[in-house]
Amino acid sequence: MSTNEQAVTLEVNGIAYPVQVPMDSNLSGVLRNTVGLTGTKEGCDDCECGACMVLLDGQPVNSCSYLAVQAEGRAITTVEGLADGDELHALQRNILAAGGVQCGFCTPGMLMSARALLDRTPNPTDDEIRIGLSGNLCRCTGYAKIIAAVRETAVQL
Amino acid sequence: MKTFVRADGPDKVTGSGRYVADLTLTGMLHAKFLYAGVAHGRISRLDVDKARAMPGVLAVMTADDVPDLRYSPVIPDRTLFATDVVRFEGEIIAAVAATTPEIASAALAAIELDITELPVVNDIEAALADDAPLVHEHWESYDVTGDTIRDRNVATFSAIEKGDVDAALAGAAHVVTGRYEADASHATPIEPRGIVAQWEGDKVTIWTSTQVPYDARDGVCETLGLPSNRVRIIVPHLGGGFGGKCGFHFEAHIAALARATKRPVKLVFSREEEFLAPDRRREGMIVDITTGLSADGDIVARKAWVGIDNGAYVADAAFFPQLAAMHIGGPYKIPAVKIDAQLIYTNRQPSGSVRAPTAPQACWAVETHTDELAAAVGLDPVEFRRRNLVRTGDEGIVGQVYDEIGLDQCLDLAVSAMGLPDLPADEAIGVAIGWWPSFAAPTGAYAKMHGDGTVQVITGAQECGTGAVMTLRDIAADELGVGVEDVQLVYQDTGAAPVGPGATGSQTLLNHGRAVESATQQIAEQLRELAADELEAAASDIVLGDGVASVAGTPTVSVPIADLAATAAGGDLLLGSASAPMPDWPSVSARCVGDQEMASWLAPQFSCHVVRVQLDADTGVARVLDVQTAHDSGTILNPIGATGQIEGGVMMGIGQALSEITHYDEAGKQKNPGLLEYKLQTIADAPTISTQFVEIYTPNAGPRGSKGLAEAPNVATAAAISNALAKLTGGPIRQLPMTPERVWEHIEAQSTGNSAEVPA
Repeated sequence: MSTNEQAVTLEVNGIAYPVQVPMDSNLSGVLRNTVGLTGTKEGCDDCECGACMVLLDGQPVNSCSYLAVQAEGRAITTVEGLADGDELHALQRNILAAGGVQCGFCTPGMLMSARALLDRTPNPTDDEIRIGLSGNLCRCTGYAKIIAAVRETAVQL
Repeated sequence: MKTFVRADGPDKVTGSGRYVADLTLTGMLHAKFLYAGVAHGRISRLDVDKARAMPGVLAVMTADDVPDLRYSPVIPDRTLFATDVVRFEGEIIAAVAATTPEIASAALAAIELDITELPVVNDIEAALADDAPLVHEHWESYDVTGDTIRDRNVATFSAIEKGDVDAALAGAAHVVTGRYEADASHATPIEPRGIVAQWEGDKVTIWTSTQVPYDARDGVCETLGLPSNRVRIIVPHLGGGFGGKCGFHFEAHIAALARATKRPVKLVFSREEEFLAPDRRREGMIVDITTGLSADGDIVARKAWVGIDNGAYVADAAFFPQLAAMHIGGPYKIPAVKIDAQLIYTNRQPSGSVRAPTAPQACWAVETHTDELAAAVGLDPVEFRRRNLVRTGDEGIVGQVYDEIGLDQCLDLAVSAMGLPDLPADEAIGVAIGWWPSFAAPTGAYAKMHGDGTVQVITGAQECGTGAVMTLRDIAADELGVGVEDVQLVYQDTGAAPVGPGATGSQTLLNHGRAVESATQQIAEQLRELAADELEAAASDIVLGDGVASVAGTPTVSVPIADLAATAAGGDLLLGSASAPMPDWPSVSARCVGDQEMASWLAPQFSCHVVRVQLDADTGVARVLDVQTAHDSGTILNPIGATGQIEGGVMMGIGQALSEITHYDEAGKQKNPGLLEYKLQTIADAPTISTQFVEIYTPNAGPRGSKGLAEAPNVATAAAISNALAKLTGGPIRQLPMTPERVWEHIEAQSTGNSAEVPA
């Protein structure tokens, strides 16, 4: 192991992954390239697009700008951990049914922000949905169908 | 048509879907490009020896390592690597392949490059000056094709000429003149582009984030001197394009690196590269319009000039002048027209097709102008448009006579949907209309029904997010009488599918849809023959639906389609292959100079956008509250997908109207190539958007009477916002985007009685 690498155990979607990572590696890169979960996307490496959003102990974090070594000991949830086995999460079902998925590249991050929003605000107003998802850029949909999907999920859950 | 099922949906919501950046191959190397970094200059020294000698560096390539040729459609003015002169900051000098991205970056830093800077042609007016430096010193030597008119820094020129404009203007009761200037913007897909190339023997497979797999293949073949059957393009899921991923870009560089290193090689762009390097910027534009009106408010003449900032290389933009000229004329009845349009070389990033190229800017200019025309004759802007727009059977600006069209209905529907709400003093409503052609292109499809009755459709179509490819399943299921879930698509793979245009020009449903329709109809014919034998009826009486073949009028006399498929599996297989028959092009009567085959518009699409805008006059910040749209795109096959296109297009239009601007410094370099400084609209900015479709079955167009759709919603939004802001600020803001700074300056200028000129 080189001196700038560290052995850490990352708990991702309830599974412990022992990994060796350079001290300066960001979490998104380690999730994608070392752990092997590529659902988390990278769109800007600058906290602007939100495609890399994951949950750390339930809080949404831009994983492109968070050091992987800092995530040790925290529960990391990625889009791969959203469904319950083969059963899609209501957010996943509803964003598809509403037409809120087009190219799909922003979708994982959008879903994670929405999940965090609904966990802390189970019945959000439209304004609260807009604020909760304002860190996630989507170029395809114009957002209307995403808002509708989150609204519908809040009613169902 | 059945309920829309998005076949790629589960992949996209669970994270299991693979995009190019998600691919890793054994032994894969990482590529990076060295860019010029200056807008105009001559390479005086380029030494890659130190970089080549670095441990972990397996290849460093320059112009010396690839065939010496110029490429691009119509005007081949481009090379893979800079040879002598660099013409924009994103010009590629060298490409590196190394064992890690970090080593590749270090190798770039070890390349010794000196560029002697040349005078920069930094904008349209600088390029047209008598003493302007030439962006392409040897422009006359390029081997251009078609009716392409050029002169020095004017890369292409087109004009529309009809009637005696000068006489008509001289006789007009009112003449209104205006200048409108639009800045450049970007496609900005959220996925930065990625490419992976791997050779097996003399064949290369390239996984790439392209919207147009066949164009990418042809570009690789042309620039590396390879036959078509040795290059296979596969697109995994594509993370958006909006035109930015059309054309041929960097696939050849990566294929060449992979061949040299005998390893798979991967390239993934940073966001900054995504802003600087592609030849698909949305072009800046200057428009001068003079329009003559009768005393009653009829448009009698229009004279205009359009200057389009092409940037350093033409890419696919040769037709932009002709397209812009059509928009500056607009969907109006104008008896006398003279519109000149120039595509102008500058030392900026090349322009190319971004969603509805030229249209948002040109529509913004002409529809802002249209409200000024209405004011000149004292007519309401909606009434003025009703009076002058083209209806079914009317002759448009090029003398094309329109078959059944729904522009007037679009205007009525969108305006009445907005209604006449009581508006506070800081709000106003703006209206604009727009249009866009449907592009037909040669396109093929294969279809096969397996022995168990399930279906595979093999199409060259490219799913860029719109859902249009997904809709092809519905067409196949409908033709064959089976469930949508029984149809699987093989798509975005040139190794499997016949040729087609891909996701460009709103062509997926229009062209690939016609091909799939034809290919599956062949199988349907076979099924009817088999059923006719089985049921002792005439084949022409057999109806396919709900998984059975039955006799028309006697649904109880039927046989399962799966049984017919099983029978066929033991003999004549159920296979279809078709190229879609090309529609007939309408004729025109105007003189169209520099025709890039865009003079007449096949199956034109029409739209009206009505916006309610709120302005904070103290800060110049405008906010769009509500948008009512109505579109004529013929038959709508996929309502969820169609409204999704409208909503996304409107949102992009709001960005172009208010926040999306590329700033250049005096040296011709972009000042804001990042998502913090180049502001896309967020969900917090999103207005409510409502859509109505004027569904007119359109023959001689797409399947089931459909026209194109994906670009049309991006045409009229900025114009409508401009017209609302003009009401709130005392006159039109003649620069796009209408940023808070510009709006505030405009308000100040109006209130102090100065002219409306505002700083950039």
